[in-house]
Order: sequence, then C-alpha cells, then structure tokens
Amino acid sequence: MTAEVSSDGRTPLVIGVGNEFRGDDAAGLLVSREIRRSVKGGVQVVETPGGVSELLELWDGRDRVYLVDAFQSGGAPGTWKRLLVGREPLPTTTSGTSTHGATVASAIALGQVLDRMPKLLVIYGIEAGHFEPGRDTSEEVLMGVREVARALGQELELPNRKTEREGG
Amino acid sequence: MSVRTIAVDYLARVEGEGSLRVRVHDGRVDDVELQIFEPPRFFEAFLRGRRYSEAPDITARICGICPVAYQMSSVHAMEQVLGLRVGGQLRALRRLLYCGEWIESHALHVYLLHTPDFLGYPDAVQLAKDDPDTVRRGLALKKAGNALMALLGGREIHPINVRVGGFYRVPSREELDQIRPTLESALDIAEETVHFAAGLPFPEADEDYEFVALQHPEEYAMNEGEIVSNRGLRIPVARYDEEFERAPVGYTHALQSVRKGGTPYLLGAMARYSLNHGQLTPRAKAVAHEVGLEPLVRNPFRSIVVRAVEMVFACEEALRIIAQYDPPSDPWIAPPDPIPAGVGAAATEAPRGLLFHRYRLAPGGQIESAEIIAPTAQNQKRIEEDVRHVVERSLALDDAALTGMCERTIRNHDPCISCATHFLRLDVERT
Repeated sequence: MTAEVSSDGRTPLVIGVGNEFRGDDAAGLLVSREIRRSVKGGVQVVETPGGVSELLELWDGRDRVYLVDAFQSGGAPGTWKRLLVGREPLPTTTSGTSTHGATVASAIALGQVLDRMPKLLVIYGIEAGHFEPGRDTSEEVLMGVREVARALGQELELPNRKTEREGG
Repeated sequence: MSVRTIAVDYLARVEGEGSLRVRVHDGRVDDVELQIFEPPRFFEAFLRGRRYSEAPDITARICGICPVAYQMSSVHAMEQVLGLRVGGQLRALRRLLYCGEWIESHALHVYLLHTPDFLGYPDAVQLAKDDPDTVRRGLALKKAGNALMALLGGREIHPINVRVGGFYRVPSREELDQIRPTLESALDIAEETVHFAAGLPFPEADEDYEFVALQHPEEYAMNEGEIVSNRGLRIPVARYDEEFERAPVGYTHALQSVRKGGTPYLLGAMARYSLNHGQLTPRAKAVAHEVGLEPLVRNPFRSIVVRAVEMVFACEEALRIIAQYDPPSDPWIAPPDPIPAGVGAAATEAPRGLLFHRYRLAPGGQIESAEIIAPTAQNQKRIEEDVRHVVERSLALDDAALTGMCERTIRNHDPCISCATHFLRLDVERT
C-alpha cells in the first residue's frame, strides 16, 4: 500500500516493488509486508508496481531508503544481492514486469541527473525464476524473501553498523 | 532476390513489453506482426466466481498506468446490472478522478517516452542531462495527476477508493480546495507543453484512420457516451459486438480487434480529439488553435500535440469540477438487495482509448463471466498498418534508421503493453 510519506525525510523508507499477480515479481512486495509486520515503529513501508516518477517522488528528500525488487540476471531463483547505489553497479535487469522492465535503474539514472536522490539508497534484489501472470511465487523465491526480510530487518535496527560495514 | 533482416531485441519507452516482426521481400513489405501477450485473459479467468463488488479493485491491477480506466469501466458495467444510476456530484468526482489519470498518463508519455524521439535522445535520462527543465515539466505534470488520483483514489497507483455505486469516502470541500494551486500550475505547464510539442520536428505521414471513441452530447466523453466513428458509426456500448470482432492470430497471444469485415480502427487521444474537439474546454480549444492544430489530425507523429491539448483540457475540467463541488451526503448509492442476475457492458475512455468491459452476474452477485478488451489490443492491427506504411516510405534508410523509425511509429500510439503484453522485441527481416 502506498502510504503517505513523512515530510521530515528522516524516517527510513522501505519500498517494495512488484506485481503480486505475476509469480516471483511479488518478491519485493512480500518483503515489505514482512517488514511492516516485524519491525515496530520508526520505519515507513510502501508498496508500488514501479514507475520512474513515482519512485522519484517516494525517495526524493529522504535520508535512508531501502528498495526491494525482483530481478533476473541468470542466477538461481531465490538468491539475493544487497547493493549500495552509487558504490556498486545495478543488475542489468532489476524487474521483469514493472513498466519498462528497467524502471528502478531508470529512476536512479534520472534521479542522479536531476539531483533527486535520497542520501542513502540500498537495493535488495531477489533473483526471480518466472514472471507469469497467475502463477504463485516459487518456493525458492519465498525462501529468498524470508532471508531478505531478516537481513533488512537487522539493517533497519542497526543501520550505522551495516552502513559502516558496506562503506568499509 | 534481396534479403535484409533487422532485429531489435527490446523496444524501449513503451509501457510494458512486446515484440514486432517486419518482413520485407524484394522491396515490398510482406508481413508486419505486432506480438503481444494479454494479461486481461488471465484476469478474465481470475474474476470468475468473485463477487461483483471485487471487480473494480481486481481489474485495477491490470495496469499501473491506467487503473482508473479499469475501475471506471467495471463499475459502470456492474451498475448497469444492478440498475444503479450514479449522477450528480458522485459522477463529477469520477470524472475528476479520470482527469487525474489522463494528466499523469499523458505527462509520462509526452515527456518521458515520446519527446526523446523528436529531439534525438535515446531516453529521458539523456534528455535530462542536456535539458533538465523539459523533463522537470513532465514530472511536475505527472505529480499533479498523481496527487489528484491519490486524493480521490486513496492512493496513486491501484486506487482503492472506488466502489460500485460511488466511492468508499468522498473528499471534503477543503481537501479539494487544497489541490487547486497544484492544478492551476499544472494547467499553465500543460499549455506550455502544447507550444513545446507543436514546435517539435514531425516526419511526414498521413494515415486514413477510422477513429473510434465515445461521444457524449454534453461533454468531452470520458465515462459515458455512444461509440462513434468518423465513418458514420454510432451505437450504444451494449451493441459493441455487432460492430467489432476479435480474432485470434497465430503470432500473438492477444485477440486482434477489427471492425466487422476486418478493417482496423484507431482509439485514443487522436480519435477523441478528432471526433469531439468541439467539446474541449476554452483554454484547450484556444491553445490548439494558437498552434495551428487542425480539427482532424492524421499524422500520428503529431499525436504528442493532441495529448498535450488533452492535458490542458483535463486540468481545466478538474478545476471546473472542484469549483462546483458540493460534497454529497452519501459517498455511494446502495446496491439492491438481493443482487439481480444479468449482463452489463460499459466502455470508458482510458488515456489510450476505449476500454470495454462486460460481465455476467449470477443471482446474488457472483461473476459468471468477464470480458475485458483493452485499447492496445484494439489498436494493435492499426499500429501494424502504420508500421507497414512507414517501412514502405522508408526502405532507403539503413537498418538502424529503419528500425528506429518503426519504434517511433509504435510509440506514437503510446501502446500500453503493460495491459496487454509480456515483452516487446522488434525484428525487421528483409528478403
């Protein structure tokens, strides 16, 4: 659910990207729901099917944003990556079914050109197996969802330690 | 015998993905095949057995760009079965919500997807590096449309506030007043957009379209009207099947829509403008006149100007509705009890054109069957014709340039392949 975004920008924002009717593309949404359920307070969680301008609106002016999305790079379904935007290259395809396929990458590129990026943008990408309409999310990806939710939950609880490690 | 093959694996800057194959034999275009997969097929099956009241929220998930269109066509069809007539301020609020969707969808297409074609950029990111203000104008317009959708729909994408009979909650007078400055600013930007778009360099093209759109006696049609064309068609929506047919073709998962007899037709902004331009709002009419936009536009590359004019219209119309708003006492009209059985059909004007829904309800309100015909599936055959003509005119171009021209031709029509496809690849084969 796309919630109201707080105006101070200091509350960490988790963005789950995906389409719950298209198999493994639901991964980002499922992680965001798990975060909403398990992390108590101090975190804002939104779901979106993507969209360049929508992502810019969501993260512009924020201090810390964590985006979770399905992607396909030829790896095993359910495996996942954590990327610190600006430090590491994005996967070639960040989402198979969001409009334009490369919405997240396009939003980052446009945000960087227009200076509309959050101070910190972390992407958790879960490797997807299929994006077929009507099919359930695969067991492998559901396992990846649980792992990412746990890792992201820990990072939200201890952001400085994680950021130092990534920066280190 | 000459053989020439051009292949593009991914067609960028359309909504969603699909594929196109063009075969040129001895300097003649033999085949043009736009291949699309169609999620509405899945949703039609998914809807069977669900409650009538679930259709607006389920069908809104078909498309992240035009969810309001799916909601509007579904609620109108259901209300026909239920015998509900939604009028007054509730009807006006639906129109206001639709204005928001037209603004955000057209802004996306005009600035982020279409403009780079005319200015020689591969995408909006590269355009923004040289001309950030142009892209910012597009984002500002889109934000205004999204704000309207968020206010009335409950959220920007996949709105949840629409229900059969009206809304779950209607806005207060103050809430609508708060959005007025945003829309007033958007109206100015939209006017600026018309001038900007009209100044772009347009390739020559003159297509003999049969334009099809809704037409309403009192307003530029969005939610209601008869289906009309510039070739004399005029029917109530319920008679859609008598004049249009869908046929499976071997190369695409979508059913291709044509007029009975096989003629392709065109929906969307160009069709609406050409059929209903006399009902545009004053500033929309004036700015179209200022830039010399003729009442009948047959060059598809100029569709970008038409969409800009429709953005002016949508901003003006939204401001008019807000100015006249008087909150209704009830946010919805209650359905009859029990829910009757029956068939309801409705069409509304999605940003990309007429979106047709038909449902059969069992006694008590369970959906027995659903039929959803998206604009892109209806335009598919006509887009193929445009591609055929542009290839015939452009055979002297090298492969890269010809491929680029095919992509531009498809983007002229803003095909919302999110509604209708899985991916888009382009192959041009010359033999």
